[in-house]
Amino acid sequence: MMAASVDPLVVGRVIGDVVDMFIPSVGMSVYFGPKHVTNGCDIKPSMAINPPKVTLTGNMDNLYTLVMTDPDAPSPSEPSMRELIHWIVVDIPGGTNPKRGKEILPYIGPKPPVGIHRYILVLFEQKGPIGMVEQPTSRVSFNTRYFASQMNLGLPVATVYFNSQKEPQAKRR
Amino acid sequence: MANVAVMATTNNNHPTTTSRWNMSSLRSSLPPIPPTSASSLRFTRPSPTTLRISRVKSQSLLPSFTGLRPLPIFAPPSEFSGFDHGFTVIDNGGRVYAMRHGRKVPKLNRPPDQRKALIRGLTTQLLKYGRIKTTRARASAIRKYVDKMITLAKDGSLHKRRQALGFIYEKQIVHALFAEVQERYGERNGGYTRIIRTLPRRGDNAPMAYIELV
Repeated sequence: MMAASVDPLVVGRVIGDVVDMFIPSVGMSVYFGPKHVTNGCDIKPSMAINPPKVTLTGNMDNLYTLVMTDPDAPSPSEPSMRELIHWIVVDIPGGTNPKRGKEILPYIGPKPPVGIHRYILVLFEQKGPIGMVEQPTSRVSFNTRYFASQMNLGLPVATVYFNSQKEPQAKRR
Repeated sequence: MANVAVMATTNNNHPTTTSRWNMSSLRSSLPPIPPTSASSLRFTRPSPTTLRISRVKSQSLLPSFTGLRPLPIFAPPSEFSGFDHGFTVIDNGGRVYAMRHGRKVPKLNRPPDQRKALIRGLTTQLLKYGRIKTTRARASAIRKYVDKMITLAKDGSLHKRRQALGFIYEKQIVHALFAEVQERYGERNGGYTRIIRTLPRRGDNAPMAYIELV
């Protein structure tokens, strides 16, 4: 009954809840302002109202798709709205950032009402340009695996996740 | 860099079930539960740390560490545990050691009443929110009680429900737990929580951890 794996994505059940086991091939670094996002770190919602700075490695010929989703909506003990999709950007050229891609679904920041939510940024490699795709009809009950199979994206190439919880209104003394 | 490790997990591929905890409809549909009477969970008391000096009329001239002369009043049976009795539990014949060998009950730097209250509060919050962030010592201390609560809920009888109501501070949580635990943990045998270690707290560098329901 001991540690299954030390990989933080497996430990945090990101692999399993949102994506399947994959081999990371592209480096992705995400910054919310000055804070660098590592797996499982804490980000306050007030720091994440604007989209993060994401830098990718990889060569310019490949196009990538970035998806940000929350599998713990509305509460981790009762995720009836799993997953809540926050951001979809397609056609990002390798080695650049999502501003060069096409934003299918505009970014909304984390707003966890109850409990501590995981927010997962998944990067897929596209086989070809996708262009404009219609937005998903609603942000709830999103399924990353289904989306990837619909867009013919295969397994992810990079994933990072962070935790966030509702901030208390008044500053704690 | 976040330092992560898993303390208790079972590896399985069960599909994510959408568990619906509609508390208000649940509350209205359930029969009213009469107020809890004598429901209490039993905890093993930690071994006494006070010295017992043997009677002067005994054969040895020196007071000895190892023991009480077995007086009938002072010898409770060995399986005698519980908070609602005035006797202390003496499992080892009244021997007091200087070391902690084999003592597994976490004290959490608190007297027994506060410790029980802390554990009850933390398990209530974990069952309510699904994932909480607390210190590593507390997280590993409440694992046992969260598993106990889920086991009570799996049984589902009225007696177990009253026992759970005596431990958890909010009764809506107990009713919601009893309603949805079958579909959520029906096949899983034990190990209903997972601990993920994380960065230390800034104010006092306390090692922190997330504990979540599996």
